[in-house]
Amino acid sequence: MNNLPPETRTDPDDETLPCGRLLSQVWADWEEGVHDDHTAQCAHCRLAVADLERLESQVRSLDSDPAQQPVDATYFIDRVMDVVRLELRPGQPLPLGEADEDLRIMENVAARALRRAAEEVPGVRAGSCRLGGTPVNVDLSVHVPLTTPDVQALAQEIRERVDVTACERLGLHLGEINVRITDLVDDDAASPWSTRSPQSPRSPRSAQEGSAP
Amino acid sequence: MTGNPPSGEPPDVEGGRSDDTLMTERAAEGDEDAFAVLVRGHAPSLLRLATRLLGDRAEAEDAVQEAFVGAWRSLPEFQGRSSFGTWMYRIVTNRCLNILRARRPQAPLNELPDLPAPAHATAPDRITEGRAALHDVQEALSTLSPEQRICWTLRTLDGRSYAFIAKTVGISEQAVRARVFRARRQLTHSLGAWQ
Repeated sequence: MNNLPPETRTDPDDETLPCGRLLSQVWADWEEGVHDDHTAQCAHCRLAVADLERLESQVRSLDSDPAQQPVDATYFIDRVMDVVRLELRPGQPLPLGEADEDLRIMENVAARALRRAAEEVPGVRAGSCRLGGTPVNVDLSVHVPLTTPDVQALAQEIRERVDVTACERLGLHLGEINVRITDLVDDDAASPWSTRSPQSPRSPRSAQEGSAP
Repeated sequence: MTGNPPSGEPPDVEGGRSDDTLMTERAAEGDEDAFAVLVRGHAPSLLRLATRLLGDRAEAEDAVQEAFVGAWRSLPEFQGRSSFGTWMYRIVTNRCLNILRARRPQAPLNELPDLPAPAHATAPDRITEGRAALHDVQEALSTLSPEQRICWTLRTLDGRSYAFIAKTVGISEQAVRARVFRARRQLTHSLGAWQ
């Protein structure tokens, strides 16, 4: 009771142990690793802590039971993506080719190809890619390696790759190509994609895309 | 008096950092392949979380699936103030809270006092280590209010800090501490009585 008078009790369900300490305080001290002479010697406090320790070790041992752990989540991921693919957001149609041609490409399809083009530049990872306007302008966000010696030159290279892909592969004539560098990333930390998503068609070096000349 | 639980936050909430940021941007713009990468990366830990919170794997799968589909729909408005992982953790936790609330009629969070726990000092039985089966623990957990159960699970089984839990469920840190305390009191009593 010395260091915690009853008026500091905030929980009406709290309980004062026979030694005068609040149960909530004894458990909080245990949880935060706070020790004092009283708790080390008081039988009531030790009993209260022993109860909590038993509870926690018991539920943890059950929680780590292998039968409780999720197994292969692959089928679950497929299930989620099946639902997601019923609700695609392809974006707006963009004009392709010459003005008198009535050809369109969906924004998302174009964005995908342009991100992949940007990622042909070693170490570059593409994020947001928005297309719109007349002529079609591109706003592209990328992460580039921290070790890039000349960021401007890299941005220019990305711009060129995007332009060539838009023009030669898609037949999409671009206006401005704005490349925004949103992060400089550590080379060591920047490569988990290949391990995280080995089947991802986004991989910059995926077989179907090959490497640009 | 050893074996204190961890008080920090496991790093998995932040997920793949740089990759996640880019994949979230792409998914927000409608790139379903990028969303698939996010689902693949976050599904295992979210399924584990929901299974802990609900105590039922099939229900957990439904909850996490709905959370992902809901996230796909709201991604265009996602401002990226938190990471995708933190956002999903919050969505799944709150969905599980609602599922627990629906399991039995409950008054709203603010109106209902948590279940009064029997006095600790007068509980005659001690907990017997290793004796209580999973069934007993599940039974004991079902006596907790949904709010107690969520706070206790995130604290004890998921090892989250009180501050993190407070932010996740949208109540004060003090309220989280009170709920975890009451849950512990209730559980030590319930499991102690069943030795």
